[in-house]
Amino acid sequence: MRDRIALVGTYMRLAVLNELQYRANFWGSLLEGFLGLAVALGSLAVIFGHTDNLAGWSAMELLALVGIYYIMSGYIQTFVQPSMERLLRDVHKGTLDFTLTKPEDAQLLVSVRAFAVWNLIYVLLGIAVVVFALARAGDAPSTGQIVAFVVTLLLGGVIVYSFWLMLATIAFWYIKIENILVIFQSMYEAGRWPVGIYPPVLRLMLTFLVPVAFAVTVPASALVGRVSGAALAGTLLAALGFFVAARLFWRRGVRAYAGASA
Amino acid sequence: MTALRSLGSLGDYYRVKLKTDLAIEMQYRGAMLIWLIGAVLEPLVFLAVWSAAAAAQGGAIDGLTSHDFAAYFIASLVVNQLTFSWVMWEFEHYIREGELAADLLRPIHPIHQDICENWAHKLLTMTVVIPAVILLSLVFEPAWHFEAWSLLAFLPALLFAFALRFLFDWTLALIAFWTTRTASANQLAQTVFLFFSGRLAPLSLFPPVLVTISFILPFRWMLAFPIELILGQLTPAQALWGMAIQLGWIAAILLLMRFVWRVAIRRFSAVGG
Amino acid sequence: MSIEPVITLNNLRKVYTVPVREGGLRAAARSLIARETRDIVAVNGVSFTVAPGEIVGFLGPNGAGKTTTLKMLAGLLHPSDGSARVLGYEPWQRNHDFLRGITLVMGNRNQLAWDIPALDSFDLNRAVYRVPRAQYMRTRDELIEMLDLSTLVNQPVRNLSLGERMKCEIAASLLHSPSVLFLDEPTLGLDVTMQRRIRAFVRAYSQQYGATVLLTSHYMADVEALCKRVIVIHHGALLFDGDLTALVDRFSSSKTISLQLGEAVPHMDQAAWAAFGERIDDGEDSLIRLRVPKAQCAAITGRLLATLPISDLTVEETPIDQVIEEVFAQPQTDIATQEART
Repeated sequence: MRDRIALVGTYMRLAVLNELQYRANFWGSLLEGFLGLAVALGSLAVIFGHTDNLAGWSAMELLALVGIYYIMSGYIQTFVQPSMERLLRDVHKGTLDFTLTKPEDAQLLVSVRAFAVWNLIYVLLGIAVVVFALARAGDAPSTGQIVAFVVTLLLGGVIVYSFWLMLATIAFWYIKIENILVIFQSMYEAGRWPVGIYPPVLRLMLTFLVPVAFAVTVPASALVGRVSGAALAGTLLAALGFFVAARLFWRRGVRAYAGASA
Repeated sequence: MTALRSLGSLGDYYRVKLKTDLAIEMQYRGAMLIWLIGAVLEPLVFLAVWSAAAAAQGGAIDGLTSHDFAAYFIASLVVNQLTFSWVMWEFEHYIREGELAADLLRPIHPIHQDICENWAHKLLTMTVVIPAVILLSLVFEPAWHFEAWSLLAFLPALLFAFALRFLFDWTLALIAFWTTRTASANQLAQTVFLFFSGRLAPLSLFPPVLVTISFILPFRWMLAFPIELILGQLTPAQALWGMAIQLGWIAAILLLMRFVWRVAIRRFSAVGG
Repeated sequence: MSIEPVITLNNLRKVYTVPVREGGLRAAARSLIARETRDIVAVNGVSFTVAPGEIVGFLGPNGAGKTTTLKMLAGLLHPSDGSARVLGYEPWQRNHDFLRGITLVMGNRNQLAWDIPALDSFDLNRAVYRVPRAQYMRTRDELIEMLDLSTLVNQPVRNLSLGERMKCEIAASLLHSPSVLFLDEPTLGLDVTMQRRIRAFVRAYSQQYGATVLLTSHYMADVEALCKRVIVIHHGALLFDGDLTALVDRFSSSKTISLQLGEAVPHMDQAAWAAFGERIDDGEDSLIRLRVPKAQCAAITGRLLATLPISDLTVEETPIDQVIEEVFAQPQTDIATQEART
């Protein structure tokens, strides 16, 4: 286990060194972060110019949700997406062979190889937005709410990772998978708003097909103290389910890649 | 006479190029469906948000019910689909990979091939957009208030909106001659567009200052104007004025584009891309 | 004294099932319901063993099944039938101890990160293979020394030439001191000087560490310089396993006679030469090269000397790559009969 942590550390150190060469990316990420934030704040301002709540969410609660959306996006764009895109490239070019001949769990290796450090800016922006929203809302969340928030956020992270891994694993059978990632990205955009505002079919899709609900809405609900014990348990179960499913699917994928079934 | 003949040969070019581009687009049928999800989802999200807001306010905001919002965002989906372009995202690649250099050797302005590719894409995507619109209409029951004259006026307004937006995007794309950070520039332009074009929400719901600004900027004339026209929210006089403003903008941006293009090409041939 | 072989293949077989797809929408729709598939036999029952420290050339034309075999031995592919053992392990179980004992170098693919110096990627492999730091430093410095990398490893890999990059790739794949090396076209696309250096390194490395090497290459010079023994597969089946010289003996049907004519040269046209053998020189200078059947070589040489004013004459074996070319050019049925004959 300690060896594995050291291994992940080595990968991250190298990735940071690599990214440091591209300082311009920092400004790009910063600009895009602020532009996105401008859109989010602007649309909130326009909407709350006409109403005092949206499906039961106040303006500041929704702002906190926007912040959480940013934290999750930052996590995806820093850790998950770069690694998975690298995996797809490796499958195309056949360089995954190098990974599979390494004496280490291949899933671990493909999951930690790339790390787009500048995108951590989104996480920082998101945290700032959440803190600002909570401060403006007045009463601070209780310790229980904060704990529930952190736990659901971590579980959301696990779910999103597992989901991306499953998508990328499809590449073992169907090489042209990039388009499916595009679907995820456009559907993930819907997570800027609480899934409760969507029609039932879309809400179901955003919960189980593209787990935006677990990634953003549930942690936000937990933070504002609007999540039940049952929902918490459900999130835990979902995280476990997604993780195990992703692991099994990955192993099947690797077996298919090696032609074990043939 | 020569002008007429050159117009005729341009027509011939468009006919042939459109045909080949359609054949190429046909190869990407699968990608088209996937792309459709993104195109439909964005207006759907805004529709859901405004419907929720209307519901929170007892059913209507400024007299707009969820059915009015449905009509607005479905119209927005169609108009946006018919006017959008992607040239500014590809221009950098186009210059750096040497394709531009090859195209400059041909006796035709490169903008024509971009128009053809754009139209070929749209012709084909209509086959999925129309069913999507019908489905959305069945689910969200939009409140249409069509009028014959405004439906008729919608067509030129849409065409002008396309021309305006396309010329704007093409001029924006030329930034790639000066910088490699076009993605940031495009993002910036897109953000401004989102707010002032009416894509985010009906512009009438914006604070008065922003509404005034939206009349001064070109973006409203690329999207919101044709939408409002087809929804029957404009008077005939407003429609005529709107089209006049569209034409004014087209002329202005065309001039700008020609100027920037000439400078860019001079620069390109000097440094060799 | 019998040495336990490092690599053993027993009737190894690999069949790929590929979907048959016709053009057109209707065929695509039909394939959604019932996918028609076709079996392609890539490796058809190959057996051989390799002893520790051997450098074996593994030859075959494109599509012969070389890479498939190599991939099975490296644990990347499951065979459809048969068995194999490498270092005492069944490769496709991908046991971590097995993986620590082998390495795979592919000339057409790279594992080094593009944007960072090779030294950093080396460090990554140290962490992946759990090489103790002291041992890592020692091996690394030795490899840097042997491959003359000291000025290269601190530059971003993208700034290196193809040959320099390949040298770094090789060093990266040897940091864990594997005892079995699978080298798949390690000199692909490199210039002659660089090919020679890599060859010299492989030989030195194998001698120094007693490593076993299985090498595929399209450059016969690689094989000639490194491998005493070659294994040839063709259409998925083993065609030859033995010494390189024996391969030439067995498959070369001709020899080349080079001759220089003296002062009074009678005019001879193509047809006149054809009475002796096939002209294979370019006709530009005074050197004439004839390809003649092996069996008649002596007789023809005698006739040439008797009838022509020859100032110099040499007889050569057909060059190895020409022999290989001839072997590879044979259709499947010919090989089958040849196998039956031998």
